Amino acid sequence: MFKKALLALPVAMAVGAAAQAGEWQDPNDVLQQFLQENPDSAYLHQSEMNIMMMPDNPALWLVDEGEELFYAKRGPNNVSLEGCDFGKGPGELDGAYVELPRYFEDTGKVMDFEMRLVHCMKELQGFTSDDAAVGQRHGNGSDIMKLTTFIAHQSSGMAWNPPLDHPQEQAMRDAGEKLFYRRGGAMDFNCASCHGDVGKQIRASVLPHVGTGPEWSKAVSWPAHRAGHDNVRSQNHRIRGCVWQMRHAGIKADTPVNTALISYWNDQARGEPAILPDLKR
Amino acid sequence: MLGNKTGGAGLVVLASTVLIAGCDGWMGETSGEVDITAMNADELAEYLVLETDSYRFEQEAQEGGSARERMKQDGIQAACSLEGDPDADTAGEVIAMARESYEEPPGGPRLGNWRRGAELARSGYGYRIGHRNDDHGSREPGGNCYACHQMDPAEELYGTLGPSLAGYGATRGNDSSVVNYVHQVVSNPHQYFPCTKMPRFGHNNFLTEEQIAHIMAYLLDPESPVNQ
Ligand code: HEC
Ligand code: HEC
Repeated sequence: MFKKALLALPVAMAVGAAAQAGEWQDPNDVLQQFLQENPDSAYLHQSEMNIMMMPDNPALWLVDEGEELFYAKRGPNNVSLEGCDFGKGPGELDGAYVELPRYFEDTGKVMDFEMRLVHCMKELQGFTSDDAAVGQRHGNGSDIMKLTTFIAHQSSGMAWNPPLDHPQEQAMRDAGEKLFYRRGGAMDFNCASCHGDVGKQIRASVLPHVGTGPEWSKAVSWPAHRAGHDNVRSQNHRIRGCVWQMRHAGIKADTPVNTALISYWNDQARGEPAILPDLKR
Repeated sequence: MLGNKTGGAGLVVLASTVLIAGCDGWMGETSGEVDITAMNADELAEYLVLETDSYRFEQEAQEGGSARERMKQDGIQAACSLEGDPDADTAGEVIAMARESYEEPPGGPRLGNWRRGAELARSGYGYRIGHRNDDHGSREPGGNCYACHQMDPAEELYGTLGPSLAGYGATRGNDSSVVNYVHQVVSNPHQYFPCTKMPRFGHNNFLTEEQIAHIMAYLLDPESPVNQ
């Protein structure tokens, strides 16, 4: 109940004293703040090594490459992505990442970050799905992950704040909540089977709890360098991995089930500062 | 599987209003223009899962049938799609559904070979489809028990979503009532634990009866490391 009341306040009040909602913070500073304020979270404290590596997070290497790609004239139309509106106006990247998914007038639907990025690369730059620039979604070498890391980094330390003003935004967030609890597949799992309790472990992995703000903020803070994969991964890549482990049907990129799940999970981290990019197991 | 939630009935299809302006509109591709705000959250969730081309439904599932069948809910999956624990009525219905569909193996439950059971309890292989498919022809699927349970007390890597089963047979023995109970739990745990997180390994044909017998031996055989 206390938590609900907090969430109703302006987001700036819910985050630690150091952070203002709109203030950029170094990802490692955000992590350190979480660690200090939540000494008992097994999830946040699970990897000493990752915490030590965080100042030299390999994901940061992609930021510069992503910036170059963003401002370069590219694609058949030979234009940069400065005309791309992620919700705060064309080319406005500060705080854009933490305020997604959102409803876009020009497409008439709610789009998550990756969907929007791909939309711009196709509509503005003229790429098609056959071009590696948008076709290749995963791995440090992909344009999508470089751009994602650069753009997300511009929102580091800002509070998750996906808008819910448009009825479609609310509808997708609410459907995402249903999807989070929807059982299915060969093992009868829903997302809460593994993320519905505090401090549980599946084999060696400590699981983040969806109802614990700081844990969930770190959990949804992708892009992140995933140490076990030695690559930077996206929110969509994480969903695909969990859905695969759940023995559901394979989920596709740029689809509304992804968008709805992200609408719900970013909403669950509302008010907490984002770690962008993060470093995970 | 029971398509008992909403199916297509809850959809509101607008004949004239153009809601999709972009050319990559997902709603437009599969079903005409749909006003997602006219559905309640349950209806929209069902619609998103089944009607928006979000999954690779055409893939074959290892247990038979298409991937689409996996995403249609049966009665227990639908009843247990809840935040938190089921209320008393739901719990009662789930237990009844679980009991009704429970099948004893021919000749009754029995214990197999605990060494085989040890491998199966550890293995997390099997039934994954999507960007990569588990190939049951090259490797046998396992039971994932260690993902959620401690079993052999000497094994350090285990999950904690379920209770520890270390010494399970040593404390309970292995007379027929224990063997029957463990089979019922592994086959369909909702008979005792309605809306549990534990999968229905028998009911869903995730494990064969022979595999279940081996895993039961791993839990109950006095020689098994679980009981040392
Ligand atoms: C069978 C258990 C299981 C299920 C079911 C499951 N996940 Fe996960 N999830 C994991 C594991 C394991 C991790 C990695 C945690 C770690 O390494 O500490 C993870 C990680 C995550 C993370 C990122 C946190 C991190 O540290 O990597 C998010 C966000 C997440 N899952 C969301 C979901 C969503 C959404 C669903 C439902 C579509 C879901 N999960 C279903 C097991 C599961
Ligand atoms: C996703 C997690 C999960 C997996 C995988 C899993 N279980 Fe369970 N199991 C549970 C939970 C949780 C319970 C406790 C029941 C409850 O309260 O929901 C349980 C209960 C049990 C019990 C009953 C314990 C008692 O009190 O009598 C047995 C026996 C059992 N599991 C065996 C197995 C075996 C054997 C496997 C592998 C084939 C397995 N489980 C796989 C989660 C799991």
